Amino acid sequence: MALSPRQKQNYWRYSQYALLALIAIVLVIVADWGTLRDKVFNPDIIAHQFPGVITVALKNTLIYTALGFVVGLSLGVLLALMKISSIAPYRWISTLYIELFRGLPALLVFIAFGYGIPLAFGLRLNNYVTVMLALGMVSAAYIGEVLRAGLEAVPKGQYEAARSLGMGHSRAMMTVIIPQAFRIVLPPLTNEIILLTKDSSLVYLLGMSVAQYELTKFGREGISASGAGLTPLVVAGACYLIITVPLGLLARHFEKRAGARSRK
Amino acid sequence: MTSHSAPASVTIKDLHKSYGEVEVLKGIDINVSPGEVVCLIGPSGSGKSTLLRCVNLLETPNSGLIEVAGHSVTDPDVNIDKMRTNVGMVFQQFNLFSHLTVLENCTVAQIKVLKRSKAEAQKIALENLEKVGLADKAGRHPDQLSGGQQQRVAIARALSMDPQLMLFDEPTSALDPETVGDVLSIMRQLAAEGMTMIVVTHEMAFARDVADRVVFMDGGVVVEEGPAHEVIGNPQHQRTQLFLSRVLNPTAQ
Ligand SMILES: Nc1ncnc2c1ncn2[C@@H]1O[C@H](COP(=O)(O)OP(=O)(O)O)[C@@H](O)[C@H]1O
Ligand SMILES: [Mg+2]
Repeated sequence: MALSPRQKQNYWRYSQYALLALIAIVLVIVADWGTLRDKVFNPDIIAHQFPGVITVALKNTLIYTALGFVVGLSLGVLLALMKISSIAPYRWISTLYIELFRGLPALLVFIAFGYGIPLAFGLRLNNYVTVMLALGMVSAAYIGEVLRAGLEAVPKGQYEAARSLGMGHSRAMMTVIIPQAFRIVLPPLTNEIILLTKDSSLVYLLGMSVAQYELTKFGREGISASGAGLTPLVVAGACYLIITVPLGLLARHFEKRAGARSRK
Repeated sequence: MTSHSAPASVTIKDLHKSYGEVEVLKGIDINVSPGEVVCLIGPSGSGKSTLLRCVNLLETPNSGLIEVAGHSVTDPDVNIDKMRTNVGMVFQQFNLFSHLTVLENCTVAQIKVLKRSKAEAQKIALENLEKVGLADKAGRHPDQLSGGQQQRVAIARALSMDPQLMLFDEPTSALDPETVGDVLSIMRQLAAEGMTMIVVTHEMAFARDVADRVVFMDGGVVVEEGPAHEVIGNPQHQRTQLFLSRVLNPTAQ
């Protein structure tokens, strides 16, 4: 008996669910629950990570991210405005900067600021300053591009309408273009904060005091101290997700809102 | 009636405009008296928008002279922002500020450019929204309005600056047919109140009934101009006749 297209589709769907269920059952049977519990989700070690993982590590990760973001956003605004400027050398400088810092691994920039510059110029930067500069200068390149795209996505007619009402260039930018660009860039900007949160783990390279540990370094030290496998990293990882997952949801929310507006 | 400024005259002399190698306006001469309504008609690409945009310097002419109310617009040292506050512009695509409410659209330039107090700006904005029949939509955002309503707000926004001259660039071309009439009747009322208006339009009935004068452009030059009933009812040039027969009888071969 031939199946109708709808029956075929249902049949196909149910067989996918059956396959997934089978894989789950096999995993449950095969897994070594004792070892997993001991080495990955060890409750004693998890307990031992608290409260430091929150009061020190998570806090520092947030601080480093915020410091990097402040520099990244300020410099990014400047880069974006330079990139759409009518003055050609500004555009060249901005393009050069963006291509340079987007093209280099963030790790290399951290090493440059953490070791290269102190050695080359004999100046020892405060750790926080290093973090601000390294994280900020890398993220500025990405944020600058996001902002430029946002500014260019505002329809040209908005600028012309503002000018024809007697607003000057700067007034039109401040009153009409930048507020609209800001709405457009909220989702990609939120994604940049997620990337920045993860990149803040590179601070791990710098010689930090215990009170300056962020999540990755904290997890790394946790492994050395306890010798107990993955558990400290699992805790640190969960803390990253506590930051990044809500940000991801927020970005999706902004995206939906923007979509609902532009659809009309 | 909320416009207190005296209507302006417009003088355009030997205006040339090129984009790169392509000359789009090839020496345009048009005079508009205070309170006069002039409709610009002509095939697409003939330079109507470019001409209109030269009048408030959204495009910079290559040569020629433009005067609004006796003041040269083409003088390189003109205070362009100040000049533009006297010239209202209505675009085909409305161009309402999408992040602002209807009321804010009509107050923002009054407050930031004319330095009116917020209360005064709102009062004037509401009078003009009343005039276009949309005072009840003051709190809405543009994307909550129909195209025709948005265009009426755009007219109220321009009028809130008390302009001496209004420029319309195909204000009804992007509208659903059933909303065209509302916009045209507001323009008709504005004309009756004595506003100087230059209107690019394909609405021949409007041009015939409302315009004092019709200017037919083709290929960057003025081919024919005169009283509306003459140019539309009895065109002299072959290009005008051809254009009008196409616009008035689009299905005829
Ligand atoms: N910014 C521009 N750059 C280059 N060419 C343009 C530009 N704007 C208009 N043009 C050209 O100028 C001519 C006249 O355009 P336009 O004034 O918009 O005509 P109309 O409004 O009568 O349809 C067209 O050929 C158009 O392609
Ligand atoms: Mg046009």
